[in-house]
Amino acid sequence: MPTPETGEPDVAAAELALGLLEGEERAVALRRMLAEPSFARDVEIWRAHFSTLFTQWPEAEIPDGFSRIETALWAPAAPVTRIWQALAMVSTALAACLLLALAFRPETRPPLPVARPAPLVAALAPTDKSPPLAAVYDSASGEVRVASTTLAPQGRVAQLWAIAGDGVPHALGLLKTGAATTVQIAPENRARMAAGTTLAVSVEPLGGSPKPVPTGPVVATGALSRV
Amino acid sequence: MTAYPSVDAARLRLTEALVATGREDRAAFRDVYTLTSAKLFGVVLRICGERQAAEDVLHEVYLTIWKRAGGYEPGRASPISWLATIARNRAIDWRRAQGVRRTGRLEEASEIADDTVSADEAMLGDEADRALHLCLDALEERQRLAIRTAFFDGITYAELAERQSVPLGTMKSWVRRGLARLKDCLDADA
Repeated sequence: MPTPETGEPDVAAAELALGLLEGEERAVALRRMLAEPSFARDVEIWRAHFSTLFTQWPEAEIPDGFSRIETALWAPAAPVTRIWQALAMVSTALAACLLLALAFRPETRPPLPVARPAPLVAALAPTDKSPPLAAVYDSASGEVRVASTTLAPQGRVAQLWAIAGDGVPHALGLLKTGAATTVQIAPENRARMAAGTTLAVSVEPLGGSPKPVPTGPVVATGALSRV
Repeated sequence: MTAYPSVDAARLRLTEALVATGREDRAAFRDVYTLTSAKLFGVVLRICGERQAAEDVLHEVYLTIWKRAGGYEPGRASPISWLATIARNRAIDWRRAQGVRRTGRLEEASEIADDTVSADEAMLGDEADRALHLCLDALEERQRLAIRTAFFDGITYAELAERQSVPLGTMKSWVRRGLARLKDCLDADA
């Protein structure tokens, strides 16, 4: 961000590449990353320069973790595991029934505390200064709910993106016009849904951006934060 | 674009393994892991600051590498830079999501010696131009230290200021001027 008031140079591309920025300053820099190709290129150039420092980074011994990776990527669930999973599901279902039974008992009791991660929320500020759009991410269900919007004109569609630490926009899904939308977040994007991640809405051709990045104008952005 | 310009065997081997990983070659992926896990763990461990969390983050980093390897372009970045950047960014994401604030001291960064020549220097090959190193050396001590700490510890302006016990505005001012000088120096070099 240029800072003429302090006479300081505009080095936001380097700041973003290093990860120095947070909050609003970071959101502004991420918006520029989407809106200004030359800025995005500068960020890449800075990353390449700084990456030459990786040679100085000391190694650290790690016990072989490859079998865990293999299991996560390729292992089919063993039959024994399936039985346990089935049992676990049954007992989870039972617990849920008990919980419902308790919760709906007629006498007034305080509701049982249910261990559930706090949702993440973002207020997506439209660039046209209209009121912000609420988005809520529930990590338990992997769903993000976005309030009703009319950001996309007729014949276009609003597309939701997540921009985490790598500065690269990842498509999350398309938003309905004039109604709230629940977007199921793809498994590979769930780790990106963390406090500090920027959500952005761009206006795209029907069906969504034909490219892995936004092709239309970015019309709203906001950072996820824990409630 | 020449596929592998003037590189030595280590870098070539890693490049080939990473490209093959992009075609979902599992044996090649195992090679990538063997060749790089100590390096990437070093990156993640330093930023996360705790071993267990760092192992979990590293696990995720390799799952990400498996999914994204198809997008690796050998002509654009050295394989170790590409991999280490994923590791650093993911570790930073973890740290920020935790709200971790370590109140270490700025001098910590100097533990990583400027003149360290590590075994995988070769993997960076000629691309590891000396420009950044030379231009960093031309900065004032406090600017260089702050920029190096931001890189190696993955911390924000606020944490840099806290560690050095200077106001946030002062820290931003040092670093911004340092980065601007760095840019001039790098542009002149190019």
